[in-house]
Amino acid sequence: MTVLEAADVHKRFGGVVALAGANLELAAGEVHVLIGANGCGKSTLCKIITGSVFADRGTIRLDGRAMRFRTPSEAARAGVGVFYQELSLIPQLTVAENLFLRRPPRSRAGLVDRRRLRREASRALERFAGAIGDIGPDHLVADLSADQRQVVEILKVLVDEPRVILFDEPTAALDNRQVEVFFDLVDALRREGRSIIFISHRMDEVFRIGDRVTVFRNGESVATMHIADTDKDEVVEKMLGTRIEAVERRRDAPKAADVAMRAEAIGGTHFDDVSFDLRRGEILGLGGLHGQGQSSLLRALFGADNAFSGSVAVGGEVYRPRGPRDAIRAGVAYVSGDRGRDGVFPVRPVFENFVAALLTRRRRARLDRRALSAEVGAVGDRLKLRAASLDALISELSGGNQQKVVIGRWLVNEPRILLLDDPTKGIDLNTKSDLYRILDELCMEGVSVVFYSSEERELLANADRIAVFNGGRVVDLLEGERVSELNLYRAAFAAEGH
Amino acid sequence: MTGDGQSQARPRFEFRRNTWILAAGFLALLCAVNYFLQDNFFEPGVMVSNLTTFTPLILIAIGQTYVILASDIDLSVGAIVSLVNVVTVSIMHHLGGDALAVAAGIGAGVATGLAAGAANGLCVAALRFQPIITTFATGTVFAGLALWILPDAGTVQAPEPVWRTYSASFVGVPFVIWSLGVVALGCWLYSRSRPYLTLMAVGGNIRAAFGSGLPVMRTRIAGYVICGLFCSLGALALTGETATGDPLIGIAFTLSSISAVVLGGTALSGGVGGVLGSVLGAILLGLISNVIFFAGTPFEYQNLIQGVIVLVALAGGVFVSRGGAR
Amino acid sequence: MSAARERTRSGPRWYRHSLVLTLAIIVVLFAAGETLSPGFAAPGQVIYLLVTASLLGFVAAGQNLVILGGREGIDLSVGGMISLGALIAGNVMDASNAAILPALLATLAGTFALGAVNGLGVTFLRIPPLVMTLGMYGVIQGLLIVITRGVPSGRAAPMLSAFVNEPLVLGIPGILFAWAAFAAFVIWMLRSTAFGLRIYAIGANENAAALSGVAIRRTRVLLFALSGMCAGLTGFLVLGFSGNVFIGVGDQYMLPSIIAVVIGGTSLAGGIGGHHGTVAGAIVLVLLQSILTTLNIDPSGRAMIFGGTLLLLMFFYGRQQRLRV
Repeated sequence: MTVLEAADVHKRFGGVVALAGANLELAAGEVHVLIGANGCGKSTLCKIITGSVFADRGTIRLDGRAMRFRTPSEAARAGVGVFYQELSLIPQLTVAENLFLRRPPRSRAGLVDRRRLRREASRALERFAGAIGDIGPDHLVADLSADQRQVVEILKVLVDEPRVILFDEPTAALDNRQVEVFFDLVDALRREGRSIIFISHRMDEVFRIGDRVTVFRNGESVATMHIADTDKDEVVEKMLGTRIEAVERRRDAPKAADVAMRAEAIGGTHFDDVSFDLRRGEILGLGGLHGQGQSSLLRALFGADNAFSGSVAVGGEVYRPRGPRDAIRAGVAYVSGDRGRDGVFPVRPVFENFVAALLTRRRRARLDRRALSAEVGAVGDRLKLRAASLDALISELSGGNQQKVVIGRWLVNEPRILLLDDPTKGIDLNTKSDLYRILDELCMEGVSVVFYSSEERELLANADRIAVFNGGRVVDLLEGERVSELNLYRAAFAAEGH
Repeated sequence: MTGDGQSQARPRFEFRRNTWILAAGFLALLCAVNYFLQDNFFEPGVMVSNLTTFTPLILIAIGQTYVILASDIDLSVGAIVSLVNVVTVSIMHHLGGDALAVAAGIGAGVATGLAAGAANGLCVAALRFQPIITTFATGTVFAGLALWILPDAGTVQAPEPVWRTYSASFVGVPFVIWSLGVVALGCWLYSRSRPYLTLMAVGGNIRAAFGSGLPVMRTRIAGYVICGLFCSLGALALTGETATGDPLIGIAFTLSSISAVVLGGTALSGGVGGVLGSVLGAILLGLISNVIFFAGTPFEYQNLIQGVIVLVALAGGVFVSRGGAR
Repeated sequence: MSAARERTRSGPRWYRHSLVLTLAIIVVLFAAGETLSPGFAAPGQVIYLLVTASLLGFVAAGQNLVILGGREGIDLSVGGMISLGALIAGNVMDASNAAILPALLATLAGTFALGAVNGLGVTFLRIPPLVMTLGMYGVIQGLLIVITRGVPSGRAAPMLSAFVNEPLVLGIPGILFAWAAFAAFVIWMLRSTAFGLRIYAIGANENAAALSGVAIRRTRVLLFALSGMCAGLTGFLVLGFSGNVFIGVGDQYMLPSIIAVVIGGTSLAGGIGGHHGTVAGAIVLVLLQSILTTLNIDPSGRAMIFGGTLLLLMFFYGRQQRLRV
């Protein structure tokens, strides 16, 4: 029996198509997995179903009746609960208050019954007892760690006893034990006859918990399959639209032996005892699971976070940046994949976004707009940037082109060392291949690159060597023949449980 | 996570939820200094007289607090106070000053405050105007209305029963204390209610609150309406004290109410703090000038010293509230 | 990408639109004034209006910078700074032409320093600008009384009064030339210097600016200091305008300085806008007030119309993002 149905849903954000014909059928008592690459529209569909985004076209039916929720609370009242990637907790309030934010238990006088609030919150927390440390109903959410917040978020959805539950990457911040507890919880919910939509990027989880899977590609739902009748290869194939070919390496390792950057036993927040030699014209990949200290290392090397311990030399000289300014002047550049937070100046023209770092390097008070425009234009051409003009607001560009501008900001600076912190997160394939081509060219010119990517294939195709991280330490350094998917996975997972 | 193991049994005390404590400490210190300078400071008569003087600001600061907790701000409170004052006094005067006229005046005053707050709330929350400029603009309109109703100060007086009642005592307890008691009870009940929890959530993180299905717009409007209500109460207290209609009477309250709120440890970014802190902050502001006066500071230095102390205290208030604001 | 090499002259599209709108409003207001009261747009009257607007323009320039710098930047202390500037200037020059330059320097130095204190509080103690500058306003109020002992003193030098009030060339007083040059400088600074771009950068995305090597704190402290200095300069000119000083002389400029900036299309969220708009905004505000005066509307009506107009403008410029997309 179909509980929830989405038919031919379309949605555009400005010039970007988020959904172009998404269909979904959710049966009673099933766990239905949505899977697809980043930006394929899964999350947008969830937001449309629960009323925090309006669809341009298409219908949502709940129990066969067309519904159009105007707010998440309308959806909640109709029995549809949602867990978002973006956390919906209020840091200044306690765990108990957050759990029962919409409907706190009330005393006979109509006031919030604080004793019952705390008691019911404690009971809810017990579902994860032992797996989330010692948090009680009175802790401020601001004090919780990422995984604890995520658990609270999950519990918050369940407080309303929804019949239909949408989980948008609920396991992203959880550790293995917490994931197990969560899956037991999902099993229990399924047995109670509740229907669950589950978004995940972890293939193992899909096959572990799902009943059916719908695959998304470029805003469309391309296939729905029973988990029992399919396998990982088929799902991946549907996601990509083609069979995966073996990863091909395009470039020979550099011959030059001189060292551009040498790090000796450096440590900082989230990483420890990291040593490496970065050769001239080399791409040193940072591998491993997400969040194992790779980003922290790059930010520390750029002087963006707290200072690191240990010693680093750039071009033979001691390198100890007190801030990005020192790094920039030493010829180091840093590209973050988090465009919104670290990259673009959203309401400013492309030109200004391009020259922001150049101003730091050149130390000149006056801007020669014409000369700078020529310089910037050349870099733009090299990146195959598509923008109406340098005066266009960067927010009018597509995500990929915005990221090109951010990358271009650092290329005009002619860096000697380029630190890439997952620079292709959420951008399209064309932009990616343009970036790879430029990385090759830069290496030929003698620029050295430290490249962290959350996509293994990207690392394997581009990096000359890969330092694999786990728990903030380098657990393996893959070189030459050993640079392979198998070795990368082995090293990334081997030290699990440390 | 430093769990105390017994968190299930007894609520944990959380400093960041009680940011008024610093203001309380500062207030105790100031009282001591004041006592040292003014022997009769703790005599009931003096205390009540002080409290009477501070009451209008206390009430207005309470109203401002609710707006700021929802991470908005109201720069029109001074104008609302003026407007309510002239509306109340004019109506009482024109209806002849008997009990019915007084009641009508008070009713009209409160209605004016509520309406002004609702206008602010609609502009800011429903039309999504920027709060600072918007409430300044509505404040200009309210001030204009006040001037239109009563162009000159002192031409209309409040009837005798008003100020007589305001300074009277019932069952041995002054009227002002009774009123503050009722207000305290109201605030306490409100702080235990669901709408208050929603208000704190909206102020803490408006997007998360919206995503959690809370009525964000209605809550912000409610904040402004409550503020309007407290402004009208403050204006009535002021009327009871001065017994006169003055279209400019409220001007200074806009800025001092914000100062009182920040002094009391409420964060301008919303979601942290509470009414108790603002009450203490309002009393602090009054006592500071008291102390400076009784310390025999030369006249011309009084304002500067007060300004510096307030600035330092404001910085302190910001410091305290930041812990929970993150 | 060939189009990209073309001129980078004009600002973003919507911003140009709001500028056109503002200019249109100025023309309409002048026409309305002339219709309602013939002689409103007579040359002498226009110049008087512009002189009034220029006083607002100088202080609004500083306010403009602080607001562009983002992080809820706003300077509520400018009213006090203007009074203080006028007081310092009046006391140093005390009606002597020879002392004009020292008076100017003393004024600018004093208000720059106090503005920098604002900036230090905002950046290093992380006090919200609204609170910090409000507190500073209280301190300055006290300072004014200490300096004057309650009795304002100091008079403008004749040359300064002439500079502000009397025609210099073509019937136009010197202050208008000074304002034109000053505004042109600010516009140029915002558009064509590294400092200008840094202001936009920290206003638009502080994180990204820091990663691009912008010295966030230093820049922001400087913005507040410059705002203080602009207000001080305004005070100096206000002294010339009115000849002597009274303690609250600057208060009337505080909120208009913010409104001029907002009318000019600069977003209170920071990072969007420029200075042409602010110049136009100052003129619009003064025109509006003048029309209301010309119409013999009493102060209460003026206040209501003024506030209502402001709300109307908010409808065009000041709307915030929706929570739902």
